[in-house]
Amino acid sequence: MSGDAAPLALPLSRLSTGACEATTLYRELRKPLLRYLVCLGLSSDEAQDVVQDAFLVLHRHLASGGSQENIRGWLFRVAHNQARNRQNRYDRNFSAPSDPELDALLDEATPERALLKKEKFKQLGKAIRLLSASERECLLLRASGLRYREISEVLGVATSTVSDTVDRAIKKLAEKCNV
Amino acid sequence: MCDFSGKLIAWMDRELPEQEAAVVEQHLESCSECRSEIDAYKRVSSELEAYCDRAMASNMRRGDTHWVSVLSAAGAVAAVVALFFVWPRIPVQPPPFQPSNGVESASTAVIAKRLPAPVRPVQKIHRRQVVSPVQIHSTIVATVQNQDAYIPTNEPIIQIAIPADEMFPPGAVPEGIHFAADLTIAADGSAERLRLSPQLAVFERRTTLP
Repeated sequence: MSGDAAPLALPLSRLSTGACEATTLYRELRKPLLRYLVCLGLSSDEAQDVVQDAFLVLHRHLASGGSQENIRGWLFRVAHNQARNRQNRYDRNFSAPSDPELDALLDEATPERALLKKEKFKQLGKAIRLLSASERECLLLRASGLRYREISEVLGVATSTVSDTVDRAIKKLAEKCNV
Repeated sequence: MCDFSGKLIAWMDRELPEQEAAVVEQHLESCSECRSEIDAYKRVSSELEAYCDRAMASNMRRGDTHWVSVLSAAGAVAAVVALFFVWPRIPVQPPPFQPSNGVESASTAVIAKRLPAPVRPVQKIHRRQVVSPVQIHSTIVATVQNQDAYIPTNEPIIQIAIPADEMFPPGAVPEGIHFAADLTIAADGSAERLRLSPQLAVFERRTTLP
């Protein structure tokens, strides 16, 4: 990280503008990023580390006058790549997220509804785990509010591929969950 | 399956070009099958969102509880260590001595000819503290004064005779063995420590008797 430090000759006005933008983006995108990384299979600590690193890179990017076009997709791509680097570093395969704790679902109005929802989540979790990695990533990025074009930039594939992958993944989930 | 099935999700996500989207909308007005498909896809999408929200919430809470458990374990260990140092030390009192009815056996032990020298108080000196000779001298004098105060000269030397039968089973102590006892008296006058050391009677006789 020290090698990527912002150049000292940077004008102060530009640095402060970049910091302000990064702060605004942090407020807006921190939670979706965390959710994406956790659903990708990272632990909460790892996800928070990755998000922090991603925003640090974003700050330097903005401070050095980098492009501000599609900054949301850019940030997701940085976080996605860092998550993948961790996967390669630790030689670990990220699986789909583990099922949410069942006790956390007891906020339903009646026990019957809570039980029904538990079963639905279990079924959905099982169906998500059966998806391929690219299908899962496309779906999770879509659930984070990214457009197909942004997803294609994050994953480095064509937009038409994203469209086909999302279509296939949603249909698989609907079939497995009997929706 | 309807021909428009492959475009329904893209239409739902508003990813189709305007012209294609208009065609799909026109088709949906007449195709109930596609409408029900779209309803199902919307339900799956919302359930997936809810699942992701719940997964993140439970994962974050798990991280918190992990830290809570670690911190509580550390706190418990710290409390135990603190109790170990703070808890008042209760000295072990020797059982009360019950002499036999004035009958002294042949192997009566002669105990405690003198009081032991008091333990020199531990002087805590910091490493960086420079101790002057005057301070050392005054400390030694104070110690000697304490020794004088500890052993009063006007009181007789205490001698206690304990029959060997009261302390040991019959036959456990060979003939001619005595026990010399060092009794340490605490500052409040209570018996602090009693140490028995076996001695040969001949050696005892030679050293103690004129």
